[in-house]
Amino acid sequence: MANVRDSDISLWLHNKLGSSESWTSGSISSQLTPDVLRNIKECFIDLQTQVKLKLLLSFFHIPRRNLDEWKHELEEILEVAIADTEQWVAMLAEMMKSYPSSGCLNFELSDADNEDNRRIFEDLVHEVTGELKNVKDLNLLPLECHYLNKNALQSVVGTQKQPVKHFTIKRKSKSANLRAELLQKAADAVKTNTKK
Amino acid sequence: IKLISDAGFQGEITSISTAAQQIEVFSRILKTSVSKILHSNDDEVNKLMTETTQMICHAEHTLVYSQVLLHVLMKHNSSMKNASPLIFKRLSQEIVRTARDQNHDVTHVLMGLSGFNSSYPNETHVLSSMLSKNALNPADINALFKAYSGTKVPPPVELIRVPQFLELLIDALFKPGSKLNPEHKSKYVYLLAYASSVNGINQTELKPTINAIEKVHEICYSKGTNEINTELQGLFQCIRTPCVSMGVIRWVHSVVTEPSYFKLSTEHTPVHLALLDEIVCCHTLLHQKVFELITMLFESKQDELEILVQLEVKKMLIDRMVNLLARGHVLPVVKYIRACWGKGDTDVSLIRYFVTEVLDIISPPYSSEFVELFLPMVENDEITGGNAAGAAASSTTADSTDVVSEFIVHCRATHKY
Repeated sequence: MANVRDSDISLWLHNKLGSSESWTSGSISSQLTPDVLRNIKECFIDLQTQVKLKLLLSFFHIPRRNLDEWKHELEEILEVAIADTEQWVAMLAEMMKSYPSSGCLNFELSDADNEDNRRIFEDLVHEVTGELKNVKDLNLLPLECHYLNKNALQSVVGTQKQPVKHFTIKRKSKSANLRAELLQKAADAVKTNTKK
Repeated sequence: IKLISDAGFQGEITSISTAAQQIEVFSRILKTSVSKILHSNDDEVNKLMTETTQMICHAEHTLVYSQVLLHVLMKHNSSMKNASPLIFKRLSQEIVRTARDQNHDVTHVLMGLSGFNSSYPNETHVLSSMLSKNALNPADINALFKAYSGTKVPPPVELIRVPQFLELLIDALFKPGSKLNPEHKSKYVYLLAYASSVNGINQTELKPTINAIEKVHEICYSKGTNEINTELQGLFQCIRTPCVSMGVIRWVHSVVTEPSYFKLSTEHTPVHLALLDEIVCCHTLLHQKVFELITMLFESKQDELEILVQLEVKKMLIDRMVNLLARGHVLPVVKYIRACWGKGDTDVSLIRYFVTEVLDIISPPYSSEFVELFLPMVENDEITGGNAAGAAASSTTADSTDVVSEFIVHCRATHKY
C-alpha cells in the first residue's frame, strides 16, 4: 500500500513540477502537509532532478508558522537531498538545510557533505577573491547608499575616493547664475508678501 | 523560452540551459562573468551586469546558488579597506531586481540571506510580506514603526535598509497621486528618515531628517509652482538630505514627464529642473540618476512644441548637462553628447551649443581622457567651424573662435595623438 502511495505522490509531483519552466511559483507549498512530506521523503530519491530542485525551492514559500510545525519533516527531506548523487540537488539542499529551523540560508559550504560540491564552491570563492585584489576604481555601491546621510554612508562605505579632475572651472555655469537669480526672486517675493 | 527563441536568441538559450545543467559549468561561467564586472569600466559595467543577472535568473536554483556565493564573498572580504567587496552586495541587489522584473518573488531567499529571520522574526515577517506584494500597507508599516520607535532596543537599521522598501517609501511620499492616509503619514516619514540617517545607535540626525522629509513632502503635495518659487531657499536646504533628494527626483520625474509640461511652462528654465541642478551640486552619488532623467527628457518627443521651441528646450536641457559636467559627472556627459553626434540624429546646432558652453567654463590642465573625447568635437568644422550657422549660434563669435582655437592649440601642445 505504501508503494502505491509513493507512486501516487511521485506522479503528482511530476505533474505539478515536471514542466520545462525553470521557475516555480511555489503553488505546491499550499498543498503540503506533514503526511505528504513524509511520503515525499520516501520517494524523493527516484524523482527527476528538475522535480527535486523545484520541490526544495517550494520550501521558501511555506508560511513561517507551517515552517515551524513541519520543521522535522522538511529537514528529513533535506537530509536525503544532501546525499543526492545529482550535484545541484545536493548543493541546494546544503544551502537550505538551516532554513526550516532558522529561516536563514546556510553559508558554511566548506563543510558540505558532497566533496565535489565543496571543492567547486571553495575554488569559486578563492578565485573571485583573487580577482578582487586587482580591482581598480570601479564604483558600484549598494543601492541603499543613495539614501544615506553622510555619516551613515561613511560607516557603510568608508571614505570615498576623490573624483578624477578633468579640468579647472574658470567661470560659473549658466545653471549657477540661474540659481542666484531664482533665490533673489524668491527673497523679493517673500519681502513683497510681508509688506502686504 | 519560446518567446526568446522566436526573438532569435537561440544561441543564448542553449548556452544558458546547458550551462545551468551542471553546477561545475555554471560555476565557471559565473566566475568569468563576475570577474568581467570587477575589471570593467563605467561604460561596460551596466551591460555586463544585465547579462550576468539575466544568466543568474535563468532558474531559481541558480539564483539561490549565486546569491549564497555573493554573500560568502562579501563576508570573506569584509576586512578589505576599500569599498570593493560592496560590489558583491550591489550585484546581489541587481539580481533581486532582475528577478522582480521577471515577476519572480524572491523575497524569502532575500530574507534568508539577511540573517534577521532568526533574531528578528516578527519585523522580518512584516517587511517580507510588503516586499512580496511590492506594496506598503498601514498595518505592517505600523508594526515596523513601533519596533523602531518604541522604548525597547530597536532592530538593526540594516533590516529596513532594503532598496525595494526604500523605493516604496519614496513612492508613497513623493509620487503624485499616491494615496497616503494622513493619519499614518508620519510613520512612513519616520521609517524613511530612520533608515537614511541612523548610524549604528547614533540617532542625532533622525529628527532633522524627519523635518526635512516632512517639509518637502508638504511642498510637493499641496503647492503650485508659484509657492515652490517662494519656498526655494527652504527647499534647497532640505535637498541637502540625500533621501529628500531621492524624493524630489521621484516627484520631478512625474511632473516633467507630463505630456504638456514644457508647453505649459512659462519660464526659460522651469523651477523643477533648477531643483535637479541643486541636487547635482549637493550629491555626487545622485549624478547618474539625475543624468538619466535629463537624457530621457532630451530624447523625448515634444511634438506639441514648434521646432524652434523644441530646440530651445533641448538647449535648456544641455545647460543641465553642463552643470552635471561642471560638478564632476564629466565623462558620462561628454560620452553621451559624442554618441548623439555619432548617431547623427541630433541637430548639430545642439552639439555646437554644448561644446561652446563647456569651453566657456573650463580651463587647463585637462585630463587626457577628457581631451580624447572632447577634442574631436571641438576640431570638427561642422560643429565649431566659422560657417554662418556657427556664427549665428554664438553671440560673441570672435570670443568663441578664440576659445576654440585656444583649446585646440593647448591640447595639441600638451597631449599626444
